[in-house]
Amino acid sequence: MRPHSQNRLAIGALAVVGWLLLSGMARADETYGRHQFDDETRGHWSFQPVERPGLPPVSDASWIRNPIDSFVLAGLDEAGLRPAATTPRTTLLRRVYVDLIGLPPTPEELDAFLEDPSPAAYERVVDDLLSRPQYGERWGRHWLDVVRYAETNGYERDGLKPEAWRFRDWVIDALNRDMPYDQFLIEQLAGDEIPGSDARSQIATTMLRLGPWDDEPADALVDRYDQLDDVVGTTSAAFVGMTLRCARCHDHKFEPLLQKDYTRWRTVFSPLKRPQAGRTDLARDIGPHDQVAAHHAKTKSLDVQQAELRDKVATLDWQVYARASSDGQLALAATGDDAAAKDFSPQIVKMVRDVPGEALAALGHEPGKRNDKQKKLVANHGDKLHAIARELAAPDERGQLADWEQGLANVKAQYPAPLSQGYVWFEEGPTAELGRVFERGDPRSPGVEVMPGFPAILVDEPPPAPLPTAYSTGRRLQLARWLTSGRHPLTARVMVNRLWQHHFGDGIVSTENDFGVMGAPPSNQRLLDWLASEFVAGGWQMKRMHRMMVLSQTYQMDSAPNAAAERIDPSGALHWRFTPRRMEAEALRDAILSVSGQLNPATYGASVYPKISREVLETQSRPGDGWHTSPPPEAARRSVYVAIKRTLLVPELEVLDFPNTDETCEQRAVSTVAPQALTFLNGEFIHEQAQAFSERLAREAGPDNTNRIVRAYLLAYARLPSEQERGTLLQFLNQNRQQIEQDTGGKVTGEAARARALAAMCLVLLNTNEFAYVQ
Amino acid sequence: MRRYSDRDRNEPALPRTTPCGRTRREFIWEAGGGFAGTALAWLLAQDGFFSNAAQASLTSAASPMAPRPAHFAPKAKSCIFLFCYGGPSQVDLFDPKPELTKRDGQPMPNLENDPRFESDAGRTSGKPLLGSLWGFNKHGQSGIEVSTLFPKLAECVDDLAIIRSCHADSFAHGSGLLQMNTGSLRQGFPSLGSWVTYGLGTMNQNLPAYVVLLDHRGGPIGGAPNWSAGFMPASYQGTQFRTSGDPIIDLSPRGDVTRAQQRQQLDLLAELGQMHRERLPRDTELAARLESYELAFRMQQHAPEAVDLSRETADTLERYGLNNATTEKFGRRCLMARRLVERGTRFVQVYSGGGHLDENWDAHQGMKANHELHCAETDQPIATLLKDLRERGLLDETLVVWGGEFGRTPTSQGDNKGRDHNPRGFTMWMAGGGIKGGQVYGATDDFGYAAVENKVHVHDLHATILHLMGLDHEALTYFHAGRDFRLTDVHGRVVQELIA
Repeated sequence: MRPHSQNRLAIGALAVVGWLLLSGMARADETYGRHQFDDETRGHWSFQPVERPGLPPVSDASWIRNPIDSFVLAGLDEAGLRPAATTPRTTLLRRVYVDLIGLPPTPEELDAFLEDPSPAAYERVVDDLLSRPQYGERWGRHWLDVVRYAETNGYERDGLKPEAWRFRDWVIDALNRDMPYDQFLIEQLAGDEIPGSDARSQIATTMLRLGPWDDEPADALVDRYDQLDDVVGTTSAAFVGMTLRCARCHDHKFEPLLQKDYTRWRTVFSPLKRPQAGRTDLARDIGPHDQVAAHHAKTKSLDVQQAELRDKVATLDWQVYARASSDGQLALAATGDDAAAKDFSPQIVKMVRDVPGEALAALGHEPGKRNDKQKKLVANHGDKLHAIARELAAPDERGQLADWEQGLANVKAQYPAPLSQGYVWFEEGPTAELGRVFERGDPRSPGVEVMPGFPAILVDEPPPAPLPTAYSTGRRLQLARWLTSGRHPLTARVMVNRLWQHHFGDGIVSTENDFGVMGAPPSNQRLLDWLASEFVAGGWQMKRMHRMMVLSQTYQMDSAPNAAAERIDPSGALHWRFTPRRMEAEALRDAILSVSGQLNPATYGASVYPKISREVLETQSRPGDGWHTSPPPEAARRSVYVAIKRTLLVPELEVLDFPNTDETCEQRAVSTVAPQALTFLNGEFIHEQAQAFSERLAREAGPDNTNRIVRAYLLAYARLPSEQERGTLLQFLNQNRQQIEQDTGGKVTGEAARARALAAMCLVLLNTNEFAYVQ
Repeated sequence: MRRYSDRDRNEPALPRTTPCGRTRREFIWEAGGGFAGTALAWLLAQDGFFSNAAQASLTSAASPMAPRPAHFAPKAKSCIFLFCYGGPSQVDLFDPKPELTKRDGQPMPNLENDPRFESDAGRTSGKPLLGSLWGFNKHGQSGIEVSTLFPKLAECVDDLAIIRSCHADSFAHGSGLLQMNTGSLRQGFPSLGSWVTYGLGTMNQNLPAYVVLLDHRGGPIGGAPNWSAGFMPASYQGTQFRTSGDPIIDLSPRGDVTRAQQRQQLDLLAELGQMHRERLPRDTELAARLESYELAFRMQQHAPEAVDLSRETADTLERYGLNNATTEKFGRRCLMARRLVERGTRFVQVYSGGGHLDENWDAHQGMKANHELHCAETDQPIATLLKDLRERGLLDETLVVWGGEFGRTPTSQGDNKGRDHNPRGFTMWMAGGGIKGGQVYGATDDFGYAAVENKVHVHDLHATILHLMGLDHEALTYFHAGRDFRLTDVHGRVVQELIA
C-alpha cells in the first residue's frame, strides 16, 4: 500500500480519525503507573530522576583536572585509597589512540607528541583523534554490538539483509558528525516518522530490522511475535537498560515489569511490516515521503501509459498478421514450403522462418484471448514477431506503429531514476491494531487489549494516544520523544554509562544493559548522575563527554597494580588505577594490519570478505556459500567493514570473543582459550601479517638487527626496547636462524634464514601481552 | 535472590553477570582454561587471583571444564549423538506399517487424532500413501522388527530402546536442526553438548569436552549455530574435529615452521611476557594468556593422538568398515568417537549426511537410492560402535543416541517415490548408559504419520538425555539477560520407561 501524493489529503483525514479512535481507546484502557508498586520498588535508584550532585570535597585538590576527578577521588577518599601516579606519556598515547580510534600511534605520531612538551599537547592529540573518521569506526562498532548488528538472517539459508551495511555507515557517520544522542536515538527508533524524514534518517531505522529471521518458520504466527520480541528485547535493553524481554510470557519474576508492559512496548512496534517476497528479504525505496510517494505515483502512471501503448501495438500486430495469414499460406511458407513462399517477399519469408512456428501461431491469436503458453511465446519472441507485423503492415498502419513506438520511447525516457534503497520495515498507514496480552506468551491465546505505551514503573499515568503521521501510527516517535525528553531517569544514565564503560573497562553500573533492581548497583552514583546531567545539559553531545573523560586525571593514571588497593577494591571499580585490558577482536586485528603496514584506510561502503580457510568453509552445507572472498587490499580494510554473516564468522574475530549477534551485547566477554593461541600462532592471516611486518622492518630499518628491533618496538608498542629486551631479541634472531638452517639441512641459510627468523620474531611480537593489551 | 541457581553446587560467590558476557574478571576465571582449565586455575591460584574463600573450592571447581559433580548419580559419563541429518524415514527403518503397505497408492486420509494435520503445508494431504520399499524382520530376544536396510544394526536390537513416538515442531531443516540441537526453533541458544559440558565439565583437560564430527560432504544446513554455546561462554561450544589431516584447524605449526622453531618462539613469548609482567606484576589475565600458549603447544600432541587410528588393530579397522569405500568415512568418525569418549570427552556429535538433498537423508527425490546409500554407509559402523563399546566395558557409561531433526511423510513425493519432511511422528533410539534395551516405546498412527501413543517431544528427549548424565533438566539453569534459562525451557519430561 503505497500512498500517492494525490490522496495525501485523504490520508491526513484518516490520520485524524485514527487518532480520535485511538484516543477513545486510551480512555478505555485501564489506568496504570508507578502507583501500582510498593514504596521500596518505586524507590529503586535508577527509577528516580537524575539530580545533578554538587562537587564533593576531596583530600587533594591538586589532583583534580575536571569534575570527574572530584567524584572519583571522593570515592577513593571514602575507601581510604590513593590514586595511582600519572602514567608515562608513551603509555598514555597508545592508550588514548587505541581507545578513541582503535589503532596504535605510528612512530611519527609518537615523535610529534614527545617533542611537544606543552601541557596542551595531550589535549591537542585528543581533539585530533576525535576529529578523525577512525573515531566513528571505532566507537560505531561499540554501538553495533548493542544493536546486534549482522548482515544476514541466520537459519537455513542465512540470506543476505540487502543494504544493511548502510546502517553501519550511518552509525559511523553519525558519530563522526557528533550527532547528539537524542537525535541518534530518535532516528533509529523513528527516522521515518520525524519531521523532515529522509533517506538518511530512514536508514537509521534499519536498527529495528537487524535481528535473525527464519524465512521458513515452523509457525508463522509465533514467528511474527518472535520478530517483535527481538525488537522489544533490543530496544528496551539498548535505550533504557531494562530486561523487558523476560516479561513476554508472564510478569517479570524479579523486576517491576509486567507482561502488560511488555505488550505495551511491543504494540509500539507491532505496526511494522517486513518487506519480503516469500523467502526473499527485500530492501525498500527510501527518501522524503513526498518524494517517494511522487516517485511511485509517477512510475505507476508511466506503467499505465506504457501498458496502454503496448496493448495498442499488440492488437495491431495481431490484426496485421491475422489478415496476412488468413489463407494459411504464410504459415506454410514459414515451415519451408517454397511454393507457398512465392506469395511473399523474400524478406518476410526469411523473417517468419526465423521464429518457431508455434510463436507465429500464437501471434495469430487475439492478445486478450491468448493462453499462458501463447502469452509466453509472444513475449519470448516479441521483437521478431513485432518486426514481422511491421513488415506486413500497410503504410498507414506502419505509420501508426511508428507513432506508438515513439510514444513508448518517450514514456521510457520519463521514468525517474531509481530511489535509494534501505533495509527498513514499513508501516501501512496511520492506524493499526492495539496489542493483546498473550496468555503464557501464546499468540493463540489473546487476552486483554492494551495501548502502545511504556513500563508502568516509569510513568505517573498512561501516555496519551500517539499522534499519527500521514504514513504511520506515530507510536515509535512517541516512544523516542518520551525517552529523550531530558527528564527520563534512564536514557542519559544508560548511554553515559556505556561511554564510561568503553573508556574505563567497566560501566559505573557494570551490568550495562540492566539498570533494574537485579542489575549491579552503581559503583559511584554521584559520578554517574553528574555525567548524565552534564550529558543532557551539553546537548547530548558524545564527543564532549569523550573529551571530558579522557582528559580527566582518572583516565591518565598509571595501570600498575597495588596490593593494598586490590585488597580493598579488587575489581578496580573505584578507579585507584587505570585497569589494563585486552583489545577487542577488531582493534587487535586492525592493530596487526596497521603495524604490518597492510591496513587499507578506505572509509565507508559495502562490506568486505577476508579470506576464510577451506577447512572453515567446509562447515557450511554449501562450502563458500555467501562468502565472496575479497581481493587482498579490500580484505585488509578495518574490521568494522568486514561482512558479518550470522552462520560464518571470520575466525580471527570469532575466536577473540566476537559477540553473539542474535541479541544485544553490551559487553564483550574476554575469554582466554587455547584455540586463540592456535589461530594466532599457526593461522594463515597472522603468518601473512608477520611476513609483511618483517619486510617492512627490513625496508624501513635497514639490515642491522638492532635497528630492526627498535623500529619493531616503536611500531608495535610505541616505545623503545630496553637493553634487556634488545638483548633477548638479538639472541632469538640468532638462535632461530641457526635452528632454521639446521632444520632445513642447510638448504635455507644466510639472508633467507635471517629473513625467516625476523618474520618469526614479528609473529611473537604480535602475540605478546603488551601488544594485545592497553595499559 | 540467587543469580546462579547452581552456584552453591559448584561455584563460590561470583560477581554479577552481564547478559552477553560476564563481568570480565569472572569470565577470565570461568573461561580461563579452555581445554585445560585446571592447570590454569592452579596457576591463577598461585598468583593469588582468587579470594581465600574461593580457593577452598578450587580443587573441585576450577575452570568451566573442570569435572563438576552431577545433580545425582549419573548413568552415563559420555554421550555419542549419531545425528542423521536430513530426516531418516521412520516407516522404512524402525516403524513397520502393514496398513500403509496395504493402502499403497491411496490418498492419505485425514487423521482425527492430529489436530494440526491441516497445517502441514500440503505435505501429505491429497498425496498418495507410499508403502515401505523394504521389508522388516524380527531380531534378537526382543523380537523387535527392523528394516532390511539395517542388517548389522538389527543384531544389536536388544541394546536399543526404540522410540517410535518422537515429535518436533518444525517442517524445515534449519529450525528443525536448531530445535534438536538446542531445544529452540530460534537461533542463539546453547546446544545440548554445551549444556552437558556446562553441567559436568570434562574428564580430560587436554582435549575438548564437546567434539563435533561433520560429514565429509559438508556441514548441516545452518552450520555452526547447531553446535554453538549460544549465550554461554564460548568455551562451551562444540569443537569441530576433522577426520583427516590435523583434527583441529591451525593445530600444527604453519608451513616450514618446525616444532623446535615454534618452541623458540614460545620461549621468547614467555620471556617477553615475563619482562612485561615485571612492570605489571600480579595481573592474572596476563598470566592466563601466556599459559594458554603453552596449552596450545601441548594440545598439538594430545589431539592428534586421540584421533590417530593407526594405533588401532587391523581387526578393529576392518570391523568399523574402514577397508570399504562405502563405510570408510562414517566408520572413521564412529571410531574417532569411541577413542574420544575413551579419553574422557563428554559429548561427541557424529553427523551422518551433510550438504543438501541426497548428500544427506533428505530423500525428496527418491527413497530408494537415498536410504540405501545412507543406511549402507552407517549400518556396519554403528553396529560395530555398539559392540566395541560393550566389549571395552564402555557401553554402560556411554549413552548412544540415534536420530535426525525429524522423520519423513508416509506419503509419496515427486515422480520417484520420495518422501517429504515430517516432524509429527518419527523414530529415534538410544542405547548404552542407563538405557533399558530391547524395547519399543510409543507408537505412531496406522500410517506412521503422527505420534499418537506415549508421545516424546524433543524437550522430553533432552530431559531424558540430561537425566541419564546425572543432570536435572529443571535445575540445570544459566542466568542470562535477566532470567534463568533451561535447555528444556518450561517443558520436558524424563521418559522413565526408557531407563534401566
